[in-house]
Amino acid sequence: MVLEIKNICKNFGGISALTDVSIRINEGEIYGLIGPNGAGKTTMFNIITNMFPPTTGDITFFNRRITGIKPHNITDLGICRTFQNIRLFSQMTTLENVMVGAHCRSKAGVLSGVFRPKSQRTEEQQIREKAIELLELVGLSEYHDVVSENLAYGQQRRLEIARAIASDPKLLLLDEPAAGMNETETANLFDLIKQVQARGVTVLIIEHDMPLVMKLCDRITVLNFGKKLAEGTPEEIQNNPAVIEAYLGSEEDDEIA
Amino acid sequence: MLGEFINPYYLQIGSFILINIILAISIYVTLSSGQLSLGSAGFMGIGAYTSALLTIHFDLPILVGIIAGSLVAGICGIIVGLPSLRLSGVYLAIATLGFGEVMRVFFVNWESVTKGAVGLSGIPHIGRELLNFFRDAGFDPSSIGMRNNQFTYLLVLILLLLINIFIIWFFVRQNKSRVGRAFAAIKMDEKAAEAMGINITYYKVLSFTQGAILAGFAGALFAHVLAYISPADFAYHRAIEILIFAVFGGSEVILGAIFGATFMTIMPEALRFISEYRYMIYGLVLIFMMAFRPQGIIDENIMQWLKKKLPSKRGRSHGSRNQKHM
Repeated sequence: MVLEIKNICKNFGGISALTDVSIRINEGEIYGLIGPNGAGKTTMFNIITNMFPPTTGDITFFNRRITGIKPHNITDLGICRTFQNIRLFSQMTTLENVMVGAHCRSKAGVLSGVFRPKSQRTEEQQIREKAIELLELVGLSEYHDVVSENLAYGQQRRLEIARAIASDPKLLLLDEPAAGMNETETANLFDLIKQVQARGVTVLIIEHDMPLVMKLCDRITVLNFGKKLAEGTPEEIQNNPAVIEAYLGSEEDDEIA
Repeated sequence: MLGEFINPYYLQIGSFILINIILAISIYVTLSSGQLSLGSAGFMGIGAYTSALLTIHFDLPILVGIIAGSLVAGICGIIVGLPSLRLSGVYLAIATLGFGEVMRVFFVNWESVTKGAVGLSGIPHIGRELLNFFRDAGFDPSSIGMRNNQFTYLLVLILLLLINIFIIWFFVRQNKSRVGRAFAAIKMDEKAAEAMGINITYYKVLSFTQGAILAGFAGALFAHVLAYISPADFAYHRAIEILIFAVFGGSEVILGAIFGATFMTIMPEALRFISEYRYMIYGLVLIFMMAFRPQGIIDENIMQWLKKKLPSKRGRSHGSRNQKHM
């Protein structure tokens, strides 16, 4: 068990964004988290990474309770995320962005950074090589020195993934990685996530692109209005009447209206 | 011989430029993690008073006083930095400005020690100490055709220049290291930096404290170069002046801060012949800067352009990098 989410509730003022949600994610899985807008998916990510605490409930990561731990320590433990609205370090180059990702796996402090003993130079060299390798993985090899805000949208999304992988996560949280991508880019993204899985990383993904989710995920949880509506394999989800009504059915209603 | 060419007045201005560069770097370092601190004048005062009082009353060597002054400023930096962490942008600026004002009032009112608004005089002078040192070593400035005061000012200038070179070297190297990347990441997106495993509390306090130490250090140097300090030296106008160094020169790159401090120290002297209009021109320059070039004169783009213009230097740095690979 990589991640166990136990009875999470989250209230913002009087509004409950999440109500009693439990999810268990096994090692090596690609796990999908889907649901209509406002269902509480990103809230769940923010709670897992402790950007804010849950109102009640617990989260354990490899049987270790992580609720209440500072976000940067959670990254240190091996959970890293990407953001729905891309949050790159916009004035850094592509390579530097990925090198920042390796921050918690390196140690150099002020003095060793300035006086550069051999250990620091070796470490810096390793970070650089790792970053170059990851940029190759996400298909950005030619863009090392490009300032990241000048990259195309799809490239920025892939750079975010590279930056997150640079922290050597055991669990990678992807928040709508295919948003705004065309079909070719989405196909490339599919391959990329599969490669990430092959590296032994467990993936939890929020995504609206249903064909991608159904093809990619081993298991899926559907959220609706902050409640868990269904859980199962892509096939089970596709045939679940409650899901069809809440999720797909509502679109038909909209069309009729 | 040499005496005819060296004008103590110019040497003195040179020393002020170099001290101001340290102050500008102190604000640059704090800004590099995205924090605008206007407390530099306060930290400068702490460094100056600490060092001055220690050397006057306890007869400690100037070097010890300066180190103590920087450290005390640094400790105050941590104390002010920690609670200020929750503040950002203009709120942090206001809080640190308040801190500076508190320090000034403190210097004015603690009369038994600081002599209040009158200020401290008779602070040991770096140049004179150095001159004595050279004399003891059997060196007479007149042997190279210089008067004592010329030699003194020259020594101070050279010493400050060496200190500046070290500080600039230090922060350029730090910038290119893991710590520098963490600062830049926090400046660009705090939430993302945190999600990437950067301990933002630690790095923000670190950069705030580095800024405080530098300002305290500059203050201690200021005390021992001028030999006289008063609370007015560390008042509100000083905080604004230091801010302007960075705003005018450019706060994105260290060269901007250096340029700003140099230009802003020379200009009032150079414009002395129209001294009545000096501050008017000063103000106009700033208004135009804000309107047309808010990032300051020197920014990243200019740095890129400069690097292209200096191919020989670039080639050399590549050469040395290749050697490291072997």
